[in-house]
Amino acid sequence: MSGSENKDINEVNSKWLDAHYDPVANLYTFSSCVALADLNGDGESKLVVGDLGSGASNMKLKVFKGTSLMTENTLLDLPTGLVAFHMDQNEPRTPAIAVASGPFIYVYKNLRPYFKFTLPPLEVNELEQEVWSQAREDKIDPMSLKEMLEGIRNKAQVPLSVRSLKFLMLEHQDMESFVNMHKQQPIRRQTVITCIGTLKKNMADEDAVSCLVIGTENMEIYVLDPEAFTILSKISLPSTPAFMDVTGQFDVEFRITVACRNGNIYILRRDSKKPKYCIELSSHAVGLVRVNKNIVVGCTQETLHGCTQKGKKLWTTYLPASIVTMGLMDHKSRGFQAVLVGLANSEVHMYRDKNLVNIIKTQDVITSICFGKYGREDGSLIMTTKGGGLIIKILKRTAVFDEKDTTPGPPVAQSVKLNVPKKTKLYVDQTMRERENAVAMHRAFQMDLYRLRLTAARAYVKALESNLTPMSSSASEPLKMNAVVQGLGPSFKLTLNIQNTSVCRPSMNLAISFWYDEKLYSLKTSFFKIPLLVPGLNYPIDTFVECLSDKGISDVIKVFVLQIGRSNPLLTAHINMPVSEGMALC
Amino acid sequence: MAEEEEAVAAARETSLQLPVSTDYKRPRSKKVQELPILERRNWLIHLHYIQKDYETCKAIIKEQLQEAQGTCEYAVYVQALIFRLEGKIQESLELFQTCAILNPQSSDNLKQVARSLFLLGKHKAAIEVYNDAAKLNQDWEICHNLGVCYMYLKDFKNASEQLNYALQLNKHDITFIMLGKMHMLEGDTDKAIEVYKKAVEFSPENTELLTTLGLLYLKLGIYQKAFEHLGNALTYDPSNYKAILAAGSMMQTHGDFDVAMTKYRVAAYSVPESPPLWNNIGMCFFGKKKYVAAISCLKRANYLAPFDWKILYNLGLVHLTMQQYASAFHFLSAAINLQPKMGELYVLLAVALTNLEDIENAKRSYEQAVSLELFNPLVNLNYAILLYNQGDKKGALQQYQEMERRVNKIKESSNNTEFDPEMIEMAQKMGAALQVGENLVWTKPAKDMKSKQRNTSSSKPLTLQQPLGSNQALGQAMSSAAGYSKSIQLSTGGSRQKPPSLPLEPDVCTDANTGESSFTPEVKDK
Repeated sequence: MSGSENKDINEVNSKWLDAHYDPVANLYTFSSCVALADLNGDGESKLVVGDLGSGASNMKLKVFKGTSLMTENTLLDLPTGLVAFHMDQNEPRTPAIAVASGPFIYVYKNLRPYFKFTLPPLEVNELEQEVWSQAREDKIDPMSLKEMLEGIRNKAQVPLSVRSLKFLMLEHQDMESFVNMHKQQPIRRQTVITCIGTLKKNMADEDAVSCLVIGTENMEIYVLDPEAFTILSKISLPSTPAFMDVTGQFDVEFRITVACRNGNIYILRRDSKKPKYCIELSSHAVGLVRVNKNIVVGCTQETLHGCTQKGKKLWTTYLPASIVTMGLMDHKSRGFQAVLVGLANSEVHMYRDKNLVNIIKTQDVITSICFGKYGREDGSLIMTTKGGGLIIKILKRTAVFDEKDTTPGPPVAQSVKLNVPKKTKLYVDQTMRERENAVAMHRAFQMDLYRLRLTAARAYVKALESNLTPMSSSASEPLKMNAVVQGLGPSFKLTLNIQNTSVCRPSMNLAISFWYDEKLYSLKTSFFKIPLLVPGLNYPIDTFVECLSDKGISDVIKVFVLQIGRSNPLLTAHINMPVSEGMALC
Repeated sequence: MAEEEEAVAAARETSLQLPVSTDYKRPRSKKVQELPILERRNWLIHLHYIQKDYETCKAIIKEQLQEAQGTCEYAVYVQALIFRLEGKIQESLELFQTCAILNPQSSDNLKQVARSLFLLGKHKAAIEVYNDAAKLNQDWEICHNLGVCYMYLKDFKNASEQLNYALQLNKHDITFIMLGKMHMLEGDTDKAIEVYKKAVEFSPENTELLTTLGLLYLKLGIYQKAFEHLGNALTYDPSNYKAILAAGSMMQTHGDFDVAMTKYRVAAYSVPESPPLWNNIGMCFFGKKKYVAAISCLKRANYLAPFDWKILYNLGLVHLTMQQYASAFHFLSAAINLQPKMGELYVLLAVALTNLEDIENAKRSYEQAVSLELFNPLVNLNYAILLYNQGDKKGALQQYQEMERRVNKIKESSNNTEFDPEMIEMAQKMGAALQVGENLVWTKPAKDMKSKQRNTSSSKPLTLQQPLGSNQALGQAMSSAAGYSKSIQLSTGGSRQKPPSLPLEPDVCTDANTGESSFTPEVKDK
């Protein structure tokens, strides 16, 4: 990105200052894995990023301060989500970091590993357990084990464990060793965390103690106690949660809004074990943000919907490109809230309700957005790009976002002139001529048309009569022929493909002869007999043609298919010979 | 600061010896038993899928499937979804079937199997699978899709049942649209309108619903409401192509050519290669008497859609106006070849032939027109004039009487019929010439008998510009006989343009808009 281009972008978005842009920060992350927190209690916010590394290895928990990387902790598995939260009342009030990864939550305090929480194991199918215990006692062989497990899989309400599923995929010869290797261990079923959020315990303060709220792959939501990490509440969902927003206080009243993989949004409340409201979207949600009391959902169909807390749809906005990520812009000191939407066309749109108030053009597609206090600056916008870059922008103190709707007004295209094809003077002249001589023109045309039709009809009749066509229509010998000329010259290979198109009658006593200008061409064999033609099969017949002229001229060679004992040919093909290029070159 | 550094250093140290690290490491280490959780990367697959980053998504799926030896249901599921997006429907179907084997309890897998079957056009098989899925879990999606399947199988009763049930379960715009479409297929426009009305109430900003409702009203001839809904659609989406074309054609009907043109400019920007659009623009120019521009635009439309007879009709008409009879003849005969069942085309052809002094063929063309067009008195009037000019008084009288009969019939069927003053005047002249006396047909002598009669001189037929009669015409041509009353008022003595084609899908109404044309060729030696 050159300096001048940067400047252009700046001028367009005069509301933001470019604080930092590092295109090679090497961050692979999502909005759920980015947080801003004052980790050291020194009044300076740090940026905490859960970096997915290469997607398989090199996962890191990175902490940025200012424009530089402050610390880096290795993570053992892909981070699913990351939150900063206060887990106790201790002074100084420094938040802990919780990183969700696989079935675990790693809690860091002062950036040191502090606690590991493991999701409770899932219920194991009793029949499955029974079968495996039999296997342990060698009561059944692997084959019958397989059969029984298959039976369980097809009927049971509780799905099989990983071990059984893996076993069912094995080849026959590997089964025995697999069973021997695993049969001694107890069967366990684990699930993984798909999203994580925080919920204030009993106070609404900024730095009040918060519970962790986690969504899991097996369609459940857990609320965890912040100190003891026991499960305070468990709610089942109809589908796997993908995005989550939590508001309220656990001891008073709370709402958890969950966008699920089945394309629905469920709204959960305290004291209800089932979702209270459901919003059926027509496509998957890509992001979920709560602004005040309303929910804003971005969908894969390039739409943004606004809904109330009770699931009633308020508005829909159509976006120019598909959404990649969404974030909330909550500028507390100004009391300004908006939704930031990162689009696939490398733009970030800012919406207040359904009104577009600002567009930020970025250098790359944005994969994560986080707005808040960074360092000592309240209005900081942190974004990471698809290419791994890190962008930090600061909201100008003078920036004001217009309340008014920016979209309407006639589209630009309305003032674009229509591209009406122009007519030339010749056209006008011809028009005049037609006006004056319409009758004569019409008559001449009709006359010529009749002549043309007559000539065409005559030629057609002649061709039919003298069997000049390459298709024989006679009932006794229905034949089809086509010819291919290969080579550059002076020698050509002439291939005739003859086919008997009758249903069951073979053709016999046929011969082929050629007619050509003997000064121009010579044929090796200009007459040969055709073998019996079986109906439907294609008979290629080759011959070689030598071009005798070096003047670069060509002529027609006529092919006749004859029946012995008849003077009229059955069919005729005219082959337009190509110019002999070989001779011309010599 | 120092403290902080310490903390950092400490963190680095400890991070290497996380207490969890040893037993967390998956099977490859000393303990074999801990198999990796199959679903551990599902969230990542899902995230990349909804971000439409399909390449990365496929790479992760591949890795995951290798690790899980193909048993990870969700990975297979998303792979199948991506295949379907890429158009590999058969492959996607196979993968969804694999999913259904891995997890036979999930109705979602069955739904997707059915969806793929549906996309492959195997509606019956899809219905069966949907029914299986419904046994596991009844929801809106299943009912909606069942309804759509039945619709394609032309089983409208079941279709409407399922779609209505889907609406009961949950209201979705798409269900409304499908139900409306189904009623249209049934030919029940009123029901379709009911459905769309409800749909617009439910989501008042959906431009597709608004446009469709507007077009339906247009078809029924309820112009006020049609315009209202089309206008609403344009407020929410000022560049909605369908709504622009429909609203534009209504404006043309009322002679607002300039306003219509401004709207068309927007459409021309977004859909520059639309034949109906250029046809309408051409007819706008025609209305503004810019004939050369009209011909240019119509020729472009013709170039884009060479087999659309309406464009050819209009081209013929404009060339008649330009007195380019030889060209007009070609366009009209081309139109007739494509649409041999329309009387108006033969009348136009006859007018062209008359001017080309091919009286025999003109007569034959009129004969054809009279036999095809059973209600329009103008056909007979024109024919009578031709016969009269040829000196065939008897034939002319016969046609004249036939015309009177038709006029009376129209009057009977509705009382507030207004006839075009020019036609009345011409008919009266004809009556006088044939000496049939004071004709009693015209009980309501047209209010303003502006003598529009132009040159009664030689070979110039009166082609006066008529505000595009399109939409009205559109309505009536559909409802045929009874609905004729109104169209007669449209069919003034000018040749009429072909209505602007409406931008609907063909099944909705395009072929409906047959405007009638009428002609008043010159009365020669009178």
